[in-house]
Order: sequence, then C-alpha cells, then structure tokens
Amino acid sequence: MTERFQRGSLSARFGRPVVKLVLVLTLVFLAFPVVMTFVSSFASDWFGVFPSGFVTIQNWEDVIVGTGVGADVAVGSSLAYSTGLALGGVVINLIVGVPIAYAVARYDFWGRDWVNVFAILPLAPGIILGVAFLRTYPDLSTSGIALIIGYSLLKAPYMVMAVQSSFQSMDLQQIEESARSLGASWPRTFLTVIVPNARTGIIAGSIISWTLAAAEFNFSYIVYSRGTPPLAIFLFNNITNASFLNAAAAVSVFFLLIALVTVSLQIVGNRGTIRRV
Amino acid sequence: MAKVSLENVTKRFDSTVAVDDVSIDIADGEVMGIVGPSGCGKTTALRLVAGFETATDGTIRYDDEDVTPVPPENRNVGLVFQSYALFNNMSVLGNVTFGPKMHGVGKAERRERARELLELLDIEELADRDPQTLSGGQQQRVGLARALAIEPRILLLDEPMTGLDAKLKQTLRQELGQLLDDLGVTTLYVTHDQEQAMSMCDRIAVMNDGHLEQIGTPAEIYEEPANEFVAGFIGTANLLDATVTDGRISFGFGDVDAPDGLRSSGDVTVLVRPDDIRVGDGEGDAAVEVTNLFYQGEHIQATGTLADGQELTLQLDRSLTNVETGDTLSVGFDPETLHVIRSTK
Repeated sequence: MTERFQRGSLSARFGRPVVKLVLVLTLVFLAFPVVMTFVSSFASDWFGVFPSGFVTIQNWEDVIVGTGVGADVAVGSSLAYSTGLALGGVVINLIVGVPIAYAVARYDFWGRDWVNVFAILPLAPGIILGVAFLRTYPDLSTSGIALIIGYSLLKAPYMVMAVQSSFQSMDLQQIEESARSLGASWPRTFLTVIVPNARTGIIAGSIISWTLAAAEFNFSYIVYSRGTPPLAIFLFNNITNASFLNAAAAVSVFFLLIALVTVSLQIVGNRGTIRRV
Repeated sequence: MAKVSLENVTKRFDSTVAVDDVSIDIADGEVMGIVGPSGCGKTTALRLVAGFETATDGTIRYDDEDVTPVPPENRNVGLVFQSYALFNNMSVLGNVTFGPKMHGVGKAERRERARELLELLDIEELADRDPQTLSGGQQQRVGLARALAIEPRILLLDEPMTGLDAKLKQTLRQELGQLLDDLGVTTLYVTHDQEQAMSMCDRIAVMNDGHLEQIGTPAEIYEEPANEFVAGFIGTANLLDATVTDGRISFGFGDVDAPDGLRSSGDVTVLVRPDDIRVGDGEGDAAVEVTNLFYQGEHIQATGTLADGQELTLQLDRSLTNVETGDTLSVGFDPETLHVIRSTK
C-alpha cells in the first residue's frame, strides 16, 4: 500500500499529461485546416497531398481586384458592404441589447424570465427568418436594411448573454445607488458608470455578434437579391465557382479580417481600463 | 451637515411591512446607529433616508425640509455600502472626484478636495490606482472619501465593515469613530453588529420586525433595555423569571432585595449581565451547577443551571482555571445591577 501511495494513483500520474495531449491534438485538429487554407492561398497548384508552386499572389489578386472567375466584384466592396451591414446590426444590438441585459440583471419585474428567454434564445434559424422576411416585407427584403435588421435579430442573444454576464459579475444595485447618491441622474449613471463597468462584456458581445453577422450565410442567401453581395455570398460564389486556391484566398481574407477586428477591439478594451481624471 | 428626522415612517412592500411607524431624530453632527437582526428593516430605513425607497406613510426631514419625495441624487447624502461599490472604470481619484463633478464643482477644486480627503484618510498614495487592486480596508477608505467628497448633509453607512477581518475591523472602527467625531458629520450607521454600534455611535436605535424597540445611548440600551428583545440582542443577557413582592424579588432558587425605586410588582423578567454576577465569594444568593465552560482569552464564560432549572451565564476570571463542568459555584447578585423588565410571558 505504501508503494502504491508513493507512486500515486493512475489519474495523479497520467491525468495532467493526458489532458494536455488531448488539448493539443484538438487545437491542431481545429487549426490545421485554417493554416493549410491560408498557406495554400499562396500556392499555384494543389494536385497531391500538399499544395505546391509557392509563392504566388495571383489568388489574392483575383479575389481582391475581382478578376477571378469566382465573382465579378472585388472583395473590397463586398467586405465594406458586409462590414457596414454587420456594424449596423451591432449598433442595433448595443442600443436594444444592453438595456435589456441591464434590466434583466438589475430588476425583478413581471415577465422578466420571458424577456430573458426571448433575448438569449436565437429566435429562428437564419433560413427561416429569411423566408419570413421575404414573405412579410417583400419590398424591404431586397435592401440592406433587411439584412441589418436580420443580423441584429439573429445575433442579439450573443450580445445580451455577454453583457448580462458582465452585469451579473458586479454589484449593480449598489454601484448604481452610489452614483445616484453622489448626484448623478439615472441616465448619467447608466452612461458614465454602469456601461463603462460592463465594457468587457460589451466588447466581447460586439466582437462575437459582428463576426457572426459578417459571416451569416443562410439569412443573406435568402434575402440578398441584387447589387453588391454580402461577404458570405461573395465567399460562397468564390468557393463554388472558382478553383480551390481562389476560394482559399477569399476565405483567408475573412480569417484575417476577424483576427484584425478581434485584436483591435481587445486593444481598445484594454486601453482606457482606468479613466484618469 | 443637517439634523435628520424620520416622523412616523412606514414602508410597505405589497403585504409586507418592512418599516412600521418608526420615528427617529438624528441631531446635527450625531452618529446614530440602527441595529437589529437580518430582516428587521434597518436597511430599508437607511434606503428611505437616502431616497432609494419612498415612504408609504410618514415624513423624512433634513433640517426642516421635507425630503420625502426628493430623488436620491438631489438629497446630497454620502453612502458607503458593505461592498463599497467603487467604480472600477475610474481610478481612486476619479471615484473621489465623481461626486463633486456631478455637483458642478470645478476641476481644480474637486481635485484639491479629493487630495485633501485622501490625505485625511491616509491613502493619498493610492490616488492613481485601479480600485480593483486595493485591499478591503483600502477600498473602504476610498468609499468613505468618495462619500465625504460631496460634503454630505448626512453620511449613511450600510454595514461598511462586514467583509473585513477582525483585526482590521477593530483598527478601522477606532479610526472611523475618530474621523466621524472630528468631522462632526451627521451619520446613520446601519449594522447587525451591536459591538460596532456600541463603540461608534452616540445613540443607537434597536429595530426588530420593522418596529423601533428602543432608542438611547449605548449605556442606556445596555443597562436599561426596554424589553427582553433589546436585552437579548445587545450583549449577553440572563433573563430570569421572577416575582416582585414587597421590595423583594423572588426567584425559584431564592430571594434577593429589589433595586431601589422599583415600581413593578407581580410577575417580571429580571435582566442580569454575566459580568455583574459575583462568583464564588462564599456568601452567595444561589448555587449554580456548571454545565459548560468556554475559554475566551480575556475571561472564561460558563453556563450553569440554577436550583429551579433556569440557565445562567457567568463570566469567570481567567485565573479560575480549576473550575470544571459539574462543579457547583455560589453566585451573588447586587440589587443595583438587576434590571426588571415587565414580563411578556
């Protein structure tokens, strides 16, 4: 028994290394396709197991300038269009979602649980919401406004959940009451104390809902009819109509964009943690 | 600074009466404590004074001004919570200057005022720190500085020391008591800790179940409690059943002289504090069989049973280490230390 005690149990001896191994394998499994796609976007051929013919920027040029067979528009215009649409969705979510998250976290009111359920459950899959929009607002549905409203509805739960968790981690009532006792009106308390204290959740919610909205395919596919295609449709066209290498460049544009947005919002979030007076 | 009055204030939440017809007058510069068990209505009373709750009935006045309908941001009250509720999006200095800024004080003046307060509270070196990086004691001081920065008409402290360790609590209690004395700010101090209230407050209001049971100086509350609840809540109390006849108090275990000027007669409850009971002098009024002993450092607390079965708590000198459970001690009562309360049984 002493010997076994000294050696330790199986889980004590191998538990940590096994968990590490599983974690590393999972990360590699998830990251490998992304890395391979990015790397292959600079290759001119991919016939065997690995791409070859490095380094060319032809695939990126096709996508960026819009000369590829995949799509007749430059990625820049699609990107700018989707960035704007997704941003519009985020703005609506900030205006509507943050107060909802605050109300649910702060107050006990009739129907609170139902508000919470509707706010954090995705109301409908994108494809269903898209069909409903087309049926209900046939004129509106061909415009960017429909896409903005749809994106905000579909991604609202991510904003509400992230912000709500920030609100729940602080003593909301006492913070609010302290500010009011110091002479701040309720709107001022909300804007200068409550919202900045929930900054982490608001930034996280914005990143998640923007990224998911910019990449939303189902709703965009149903509602989009003409004009500049949203990024998801642009990528889809590149993937279905062009060579895999062109598609790889198109997808890489999106990866880079997400990385850029995430990093810059994180930097903005970390800077200004403390407001000097 | 102002005198603050609650006049027959009642607060109902649906069918629950949280504060029931309470009247308290707090003099200008006085430190008033409200103590009571959880759910007694003390925090609701504080929230009524702050303006976060509106009285269902009654009036709240600052000086002679009726502030019952005035919203909290216009009452000019300093508030310190148990959690301190510091604003983590601002530095310590930002927290302290927030109130003056809301009151329209110019930048230079509010910074100057904040620096003075931080210096007074001995935390001037923390001015640029993030509140989240401070210890509990430091956060408490910042919370206090923030509340004082608006030069409040009344300072409201809601269990401000509950989260701190015993040693720090003791230090801060002395410092805070001294500070409130020096500043002369009218203060309402809400706590469930009767020891803190006794040591820091000029007067104490004891609440139970929404009612005000008694209001008085710490000595009055401790030595002349109005009823059994106050006697039991403040300090350790022996409440003994007895009958008063002809200047004598008859307990089941024997008789003792009644205190001079006692007007009650018939069935009563007698309060006697453990530290007022003479132990083991040989000429006792009763015998107690010791059932439990608790060593408490400065003294030994003993509980025992009297001849009539009533329980008695004693305070023994710590030199009496030879006392064991099962021993019989003779105890004596000084008539002037017996406080007779009308029996509620």
